[in-house]
Amino acid sequence: MSIRPFIFRIAALILCVSLGLMLFRGIAALPVPEKVIGPAGHYLARTAGETGARNVVGAILFDYRAFDTLGESTVIFTAVCGIAMLFSRRKFHRSSRGLSFIAKRGIGIMVPFLLMYASVIILFGHLSPGGGFQGGTIFATVTVLLCVVYGSSFESQYFPPRTKDILESGGALLFSGIGLIGLAAGTGFLSNIAAGFPAGTFGSFLSAGSVPILNVAVGMKVGAGLSTIFYSMIKMLDAENDHIEGGRPR
Amino acid sequence: MILLSYATAIIIFCIGLYTIMVRRNLFKTVLGLALMESAVLLIIVSSGYIPGGVPPIAPFSGQAVNPLPHAFTLTAIVIGASDIALALAFIVKLHRHYRTVDLDRIRGLRG
Repeated sequence: MSIRPFIFRIAALILCVSLGLMLFRGIAALPVPEKVIGPAGHYLARTAGETGARNVVGAILFDYRAFDTLGESTVIFTAVCGIAMLFSRRKFHRSSRGLSFIAKRGIGIMVPFLLMYASVIILFGHLSPGGGFQGGTIFATVTVLLCVVYGSSFESQYFPPRTKDILESGGALLFSGIGLIGLAAGTGFLSNIAAGFPAGTFGSFLSAGSVPILNVAVGMKVGAGLSTIFYSMIKMLDAENDHIEGGRPR
Repeated sequence: MILLSYATAIIIFCIGLYTIMVRRNLFKTVLGLALMESAVLLIIVSSGYIPGGVPPIAPFSGQAVNPLPHAFTLTAIVIGASDIALALAFIVKLHRHYRTVDLDRIRGLRG
């Protein structure tokens, strides 16, 4: 063994520490803001009147910057397409048998509550902290739990990949369709109250125009996309384990 | 208090950078990338903090914190999760092809 890797490590450590010090000095010189200015100030002051949503972050995501959100849910779509393409060479029929009986029973009791929690986070995204991204991730967590505890074939039986495909594309179509309604009303792509969506009473469940619908669309997209990613990978790993144990991949 | 948050984020960032520079294991490289990304997100969220601010849920009882970094972070988290998943998928494919995830043993771009 030569001494060169050691010297390289020390050099990397010194570089990282000095970079961190420089970054910290730069960031510590920034003034701590006393109040919100710029576009953020406008959002804080006008969100309740302009969109009818209580959650300002949700209103920014799905009203003021909804086009941004559409582009970014396309990123998930692209990632899902890439992963599904990478892992789609063969069909694997074997799967893990899952964990013990106790774990299966426990998760079976928990799953309905997890689903309810995810739905509440999505549907109340315009009133309380939460929204499509967070709730969709919790939906994906449910499918991941089912995959790990019951085995991937059970999961693919209850949530077939085909259904996830339809859900994901349906979410994308719903999002763009809501956007096109704004375009047809002549107020611009993805416009909300201006396009004629009812604002409702501030703070009630049915309010904020198109924000709850877009929340549901993004929740469908994110949940289906993340669970497809996980399912593609776990299917692959199950096949690898079979290969190592001596069985042949089918 | 806000400086403590920044310092935490920068320490995490440096750990991630060190991991990427030193480790030759591809999985650890991706983990370092994930660490760096979370550190950047922590910095962005901290930058929206206002001393004594309340959460941006209308109606506010006092000065609300800046909601814009929260929205940006939310989008960035999703993008980060998808690109890390894609990187891990590539690593699994590389492992099938070369039977190793050591960057030093994966030489050249053989077909």
